[in-house]
Amino acid sequence: MAQTEKFVLNMGPQHPSTHGVLQVQVELDGENIVGATPVMGYLHRGIEKLMESRTYVQCVPYTDRLDYVSAMNNNLGFCMAVEKLANIEVPRRAEYIRVICAELNRIASHHVFIGSLTNDLGSATGMIYAFRDREKILDLFNIICGARMTAHYIRIGGVAADAQEEFLRDTQKFIDYVPAMLDEYDRIFTGNEIFQARMQNTSIITKEDALKYSMSGPNIRASGIDYDIRKIDKYGAYGDFDFEIPLGKQGDNWDRYIVRLKEIQQSANIIQQALDNLPEGPYMAKVPKVLKPPKGDAYHRVENTRGELGFYIVSDGSTKPYRVHIRRPSIVNLQALDTMCRGMLLADAVTAFATIDPLMGEVDC
Amino acid sequence: MHSGILYSTAQALREILMSLVGVPLLVDIIMTVICATILLLIMATSALVFTLGERKICAFIQVRIGPNRVGPGGLLQSVADMIKLMDKEDIVPRGIDKWLWVLSPILLLVPSALIYAFFPFDDGVILADVNVGLFLLIAITSQTVLPFLMGGYASNSKYSLIGGMRTVAQMLGYEVPMVFALMGIVMLTGSLKMSAIVEAQSNVWFIVLQPLAFLIYIVTALVESNRPPFNLVEGESEIIAGPFTEYTGMRWALFFLAEFSNLMCIGILTTTLFLGGWHGPDFLPGFAWFWIKTFICVLFYQWVGWTFPRLRIDTMLSFGWKVLLPIALVNVLLTGVGIYIYNIM
Amino acid sequence: MGTYFEIDKLELLKAQFDTAEFDAEANEPAIYIGKEQLLDLMKVLRETPTYSFDRMSCLTAVDYKEYFEMVYCLYSRRFDKWVTVKVKLDHDNPEVESMTQIWEGTNFEERETYDLMGIKFLHHPDLRRILMPDNYDGHPLQKDFVPLEPRIEGGVLTWHKQKSSS
Repeated sequence: MAQTEKFVLNMGPQHPSTHGVLQVQVELDGENIVGATPVMGYLHRGIEKLMESRTYVQCVPYTDRLDYVSAMNNNLGFCMAVEKLANIEVPRRAEYIRVICAELNRIASHHVFIGSLTNDLGSATGMIYAFRDREKILDLFNIICGARMTAHYIRIGGVAADAQEEFLRDTQKFIDYVPAMLDEYDRIFTGNEIFQARMQNTSIITKEDALKYSMSGPNIRASGIDYDIRKIDKYGAYGDFDFEIPLGKQGDNWDRYIVRLKEIQQSANIIQQALDNLPEGPYMAKVPKVLKPPKGDAYHRVENTRGELGFYIVSDGSTKPYRVHIRRPSIVNLQALDTMCRGMLLADAVTAFATIDPLMGEVDC
Repeated sequence: MHSGILYSTAQALREILMSLVGVPLLVDIIMTVICATILLLIMATSALVFTLGERKICAFIQVRIGPNRVGPGGLLQSVADMIKLMDKEDIVPRGIDKWLWVLSPILLLVPSALIYAFFPFDDGVILADVNVGLFLLIAITSQTVLPFLMGGYASNSKYSLIGGMRTVAQMLGYEVPMVFALMGIVMLTGSLKMSAIVEAQSNVWFIVLQPLAFLIYIVTALVESNRPPFNLVEGESEIIAGPFTEYTGMRWALFFLAEFSNLMCIGILTTTLFLGGWHGPDFLPGFAWFWIKTFICVLFYQWVGWTFPRLRIDTMLSFGWKVLLPIALVNVLLTGVGIYIYNIM
Repeated sequence: MGTYFEIDKLELLKAQFDTAEFDAEANEPAIYIGKEQLLDLMKVLRETPTYSFDRMSCLTAVDYKEYFEMVYCLYSRRFDKWVTVKVKLDHDNPEVESMTQIWEGTNFEERETYDLMGIKFLHHPDLRRILMPDNYDGHPLQKDFVPLEPRIEGGVLTWHKQKSSS
């Protein structure tokens, strides 16, 4: 007698559309998904353990490798946690340069999001357009610190080098280009019928679910919850700038995409304000050559591109941290994957992976 | 009876052969073999040209440069690709249904090669001008679904199986509107013969008389040839490469060849059925017009393919059944009414 | 940056839970609580309308060689307040109630803490290793951890103690 049965499809770790080395075991009934279990650990390097045997200054490059498409934000998080622990006052100019770099990196990371999303939706052309524009930002980083992705530019106490005239000029040029860029994206992706049909009303995360799974970043904002650490904590120089938090309506894939698109606009807005009001002064605080924070612990969080990135550092008074814990937004956000995929079609699972935007360097740590 | 360079060349060749051999049947056989060889050569060359063309066009659309290392301006890239493919290790996975697995790529090539026999390349230049030409053509093209399903089933891989199943679903959903769309042409022509269909367009192309059918045909042709945005069968972000996930080297190249042959097929069919075939102003010979139109069609299909994202299976199937099929039926009705009014006048 | 939980509210909590302690001198005093009362304290923190700590911002553990310490950083979106809750756990048999009973979103963080630190969470829905291989023996973030040597035996990756020569 003929009968149907459910089967498990392994997507990843080697699969064209899983980001990095994420493995998702999708349980399928024909083309319909009845369950999705993420399996991680393929990129586990033990960064938390490695940091225990390095000095505080040596730890900073490791944070580049967490979320390697928004390295500046991770540098910022770690450095601010150490500064909180060691009571270091950061010069105003450094705070502004940090904001410029972090926001540039946020735009670059959203470019990767848009690129991989369109690629996963089957349009390789979109990826190239997004990556072409990302290249402009990476070139800016190349000017300011000589590295493109793993920048290691934000240091404990300030930034590695002052922002040159050339960098500021080219950043201004990029900011002027942003409206044209977004307009082009609107014409290529946002206005596309197929694009809309595939994203709207799929993989909905309700407000309740978003809170239940402790989601953060654009993912929770797409569900309509106003939760942005930049606005809440006003860390660094973020209190000085005027910007909006774009919110979604119902938390479907479309909202997650639109929220990120609007965030690019807001980031450009912040950078413009920072460029206009960039204060003069030193770019580095006086940090002792051998940094020995007092005994104790500190937790500091920043708004990474993917959400709430927290560093919990325990100091035993020596030159090395006793324990570093990194609260990574990607791994927490991934908990919602099952809810997002359930009841959807196989093709929607791929969209869900893309819009939840996990980065395996950060998930596996 | 017929004019055109190709036709007169063939006639001249036939006369030479006749004087050499003398037996009409033998001459017929030799002529058929020569024609078949030329068609296969066209198919193989088109795959070579289109690989490069596709990559260059896609690069142009994607603001890239594209292949530019092998030969002048990357012209020999497809030759290098071919050598690489032949050189590759032939991996046979464990747990497969060996016979079906081996046969699938070969069988896939058969229908896509066979339909070239029914294409009128120029005035009188058609290998088999049978009186049920269009019908046969559709029948043969719909056979491509079987090798896909075979490959998908025999590969013993879940990705392949899903891909194979999708082929069947989309074939069922889109073959019907396509046939009904082409019905309008048959009604206007009054014949299924390919040469008659081209002949009927000597004054007005069918794209003018049958705009609805043309639009439906474009969509269904993209589906038939698995071109994006309808490439669900090999939707690489979901099921890697669908039925040919487990194939490597030359076996994979056969799938590839069939794909490009299909792309050219739909270009030729669009030209023949809607764009007047080899008809065109006299300053160029018929076959030149034919190829120019075909290349423009192929370019169009590639342009569409590199612009749109992929559809989802449910959207796609409901579009086929709920939108295209009713429109195709309305088109048949309108054509009938039109013919009736025309006859009265 | 939100402000820290007020001292007087901490006093209130201390009166409510007999194992609760905090260092009134410290800048941002963490509440230390016995592990039996942890779940109750967390429920109070989460559900009392005047506290409403609805986000478990950070959940982790620290190995202090003699004992483990669980660290919970809670944040209240409504009042923009922080509080840190700490629990000391026995080093030989670290067990604590799972926070998934209150905040479902701590699932993966607890799995990670279990995987890397070896702390067992009671009443956790799915306590499996998350980052390390399933057949791994040992918890890397413990201070006395010695890495195991990977070896392939019969096509399967297995883990073995390193030779003590080094």
